[in-house]
Amino acid sequence: MIASALTKTVARLIFAPTLVIAVAILVKGYADTGDGFAAGVVAALAVLLQYVAFGHEEIERVLPVRRAPLLGVAGLGLALAVAFVPVALGKPPMTHWPAPGASVIHVGTLEILTAVVFDIGVFLLVFGSVVGAIRFLSVMGRSAP
Amino acid sequence: MPTPRVSPAAVGSVLLAAAAFGLILAGHLSGGGALDLPWAPALGLRLHFELDGLGALYGLLATGIGLVVFAYAAVYLPEHLRAHGRPQRDGVAFFGALTLFMVSMVGLVTAQDLLLLFVFWDLTAIASYLLIGFDRDEATSRRAALMALLVTGISAVLLLIGALLLAAEYGTFSLPEIIERARPGGGLTLACALIAAAGLAKSAQVPLHFWLPRAMAAPTPVSAYLHSAAMVAAGVFLLGRFYPLLRQSPEVLDGLLVVGLASIAVGGVIALTRDTLKQVLAYSTISQYGYVVTTLGLGGRKAALAASFYVIAHALAKCALFLTAGAVTQTTGAKGLSGIRGMAREAPVLAAASGVAAAGLAALPLTVGFFKDELFFAAALERGTVWAILATAAAALTFAYIARFWSGIFLGSASSNVARPGAGLTAPVVVLALLVVAGGLTVSPFLDLAKDAGAATYGSSTPGEAAYHLDLRAENVMALTAYASGAFLLAVPAVWRPLALGVARAGEAAGPARAYQVALTSLNRLSDAVHTFEVRDLRNRLRPILIMAGLLVALGIVSTPSGAYVVGSFTWGDLPLALTLIVAACAAIACTVPRDHLKLVLTLSALGFSLAVAYAFFAAPDVALVAVLVETVFGLLFFGVFSLLPREILRNEAVKMAPPRRRRGNVALASVSGTFAFVVVWGALSRPAGDPSAATELTARTPDAHAKDIVTAILADFRGLDTLVEITVVLVAVLAMATLLRRGRLT
Repeated sequence: MIASALTKTVARLIFAPTLVIAVAILVKGYADTGDGFAAGVVAALAVLLQYVAFGHEEIERVLPVRRAPLLGVAGLGLALAVAFVPVALGKPPMTHWPAPGASVIHVGTLEILTAVVFDIGVFLLVFGSVVGAIRFLSVMGRSAP
Repeated sequence: MPTPRVSPAAVGSVLLAAAAFGLILAGHLSGGGALDLPWAPALGLRLHFELDGLGALYGLLATGIGLVVFAYAAVYLPEHLRAHGRPQRDGVAFFGALTLFMVSMVGLVTAQDLLLLFVFWDLTAIASYLLIGFDRDEATSRRAALMALLVTGISAVLLLIGALLLAAEYGTFSLPEIIERARPGGGLTLACALIAAAGLAKSAQVPLHFWLPRAMAAPTPVSAYLHSAAMVAAGVFLLGRFYPLLRQSPEVLDGLLVVGLASIAVGGVIALTRDTLKQVLAYSTISQYGYVVTTLGLGGRKAALAASFYVIAHALAKCALFLTAGAVTQTTGAKGLSGIRGMAREAPVLAAASGVAAAGLAALPLTVGFFKDELFFAAALERGTVWAILATAAAALTFAYIARFWSGIFLGSASSNVARPGAGLTAPVVVLALLVVAGGLTVSPFLDLAKDAGAATYGSSTPGEAAYHLDLRAENVMALTAYASGAFLLAVPAVWRPLALGVARAGEAAGPARAYQVALTSLNRLSDAVHTFEVRDLRNRLRPILIMAGLLVALGIVSTPSGAYVVGSFTWGDLPLALTLIVAACAAIACTVPRDHLKLVLTLSALGFSLAVAYAFFAAPDVALVAVLVETVFGLLFFGVFSLLPREILRNEAVKMAPPRRRRGNVALASVSGTFAFVVVWGALSRPAGDPSAATELTARTPDAHAKDIVTAILADFRGLDTLVEITVVLVAVLAMATLLRRGRLT
């Protein structure tokens, strides 16, 4: 699939801003619309657009998409850790820190919560899985007769 | 025979078994011990292990017999692998599964929590599946492994149901607490019956005995371990573990008596007719565990002691006999009694050792087996004369088939294929035979172990004694009668042989094994039929769902009392929402028009985006955001995939998209299910929310989670575990997709 010069230019221009938007959706998910899942899909869309514009070989050369499934596994590991580390500390699974009512550490307007870490795990998993799926499809397309 | 190299895996498992044996022995001698870790206190789950008398007995058997069997397997397996043309490294998996078997047995016998017990119970089934099916290139092994897994695995569900019934009634999964709180009643009887059924299936008792003889397809060390200390012993162990509950319901005890006696008879009679060495021993095991089940069914303190002692004596003797069969088959190539004769001259040590083991099983004096029958007879006498006579008859049967087995191999003029088995195959048998004799000379160590186990089985101490008495007390008379009738049976086979063969043949023609086969075949056929129906056409899969849903909705509308269905009012404020929904409806109808894939995808996207707009109007911005994103990704992916496919294929598929003769039915179906869905949703949305408390509570709790967005708080906090499971599914789906696209290759 060869895209026009216009598509290529636009795709290149909006790649970084899209990722920034994804991160924004992720970190302010606890205060506003959006969460890890939506952020993961937005980030994956950025990569998908690059595939559409530049084709498989070019992307494979420039971006580390080969590692995408590993990223998904890492996200699952992170989410599992948030869910089950409390068990090792003698609390029910999925006990979040800080506890209800406790004060929250702020970094600027960002709040440090284990629930946000869990959401980051979801983000990584969704991003890794969708990019992985896109890559598998494009690999199949390349090897098709 | 060249001395094969012993693999490190074998050495490791032998050392592990030795260490575990020493640990359990030391633990038992120092008065037992317990380990109690809570791991999910909110759910009442804990890792509770305790080394009581019963656990010590079965634990020592699992590790002690394990030690002997593993050492034997270290010599046996390399030759076995060579004979099957498999690489030696496959032995690692073999010893891994054996070790798993041993570890799960030790876990099973020490677990004091019902769920924990169930987990280890299933682990033994899995380990046995791997081991029975070890010769995976042979169809009989695979079938036998599957049969063992299905019979013991499905019956394990009964154990789970029984455990859940007990937990529901007494409010805890802890077995000691349940035993403390248990009172006789219908609920207890039902739970006990289910648990007993699981134990009986595992112990290969009639009518679920058929898997055991087929499991003989396993390599011989596996059979020896399975029969004497692991799988089959686990069933009897379960009965012992739950005995304080079982003995509170007379119905269950009577059931045990019936099953046990039937197993003694069926196993004993068929053992007399078998030719294959391991088959004789397999049916003998069915019969021998029938003894134990019968003894437990007799009830009383003496019975609890007798059952425990019986298990020890049987394990030593049966293991030795299995190892003998393996040694004979591996050195001479003969698998059945008809292929071998007069091996005593060539292998005198093996003959003597297995002779001792056979004498132990036949309960001759000077072996530990004598006392097993003495205690068994005493328990039967306590119950009544009829039971004493049945017990004597059972002992006679045992004497007859074991004498036939041993004399068939070792006595008579030597056949041409006799050879001397290697020392590695003989030594384990000798060790076991020495133990059998030692128990016959000084019974007290074995008896003490059995007393401790009996006490744990019965719930209070089980005094009893076992000694030689040179007088004509009832037990001695019964033993002498049993020897005499056993010898008589052996001497005049013409009297019983036609009858016994008839029983065996009838069992094969119309027995439970046949029922199992028929059930399995029909289940397979049904699954094939459903699969073909579903996979041939996607519409076939959708149609039943739509029809069923429509019928259910129609039923709901018909059964709704008049007046309950409210059609809500429509205000001007609803106009934007209604307009977007009308657009969505138009897009949905438009989807039926295109005969071209690209246009179809575009109309589907239009439908998705208009629904996203509707979500936004409905005050669900999170859902709207995700809907927009998913629509975008899917649209792009569809275009990408279409560009990869050759044009002719797309064109051909487009023509096939909806054959005209089917269109009318599809339209009717879609209209009916669409109308009903509309009616129901309209009605549901028109009613004021019946129970607003759930939503209110979640909204109230959102600040507690330090969140301002309720949807994210639900996903990451309130329902976090659900999210965790769902994202795991996403990852698994991607892995499955990768595997499919690579045509099943993982690399």
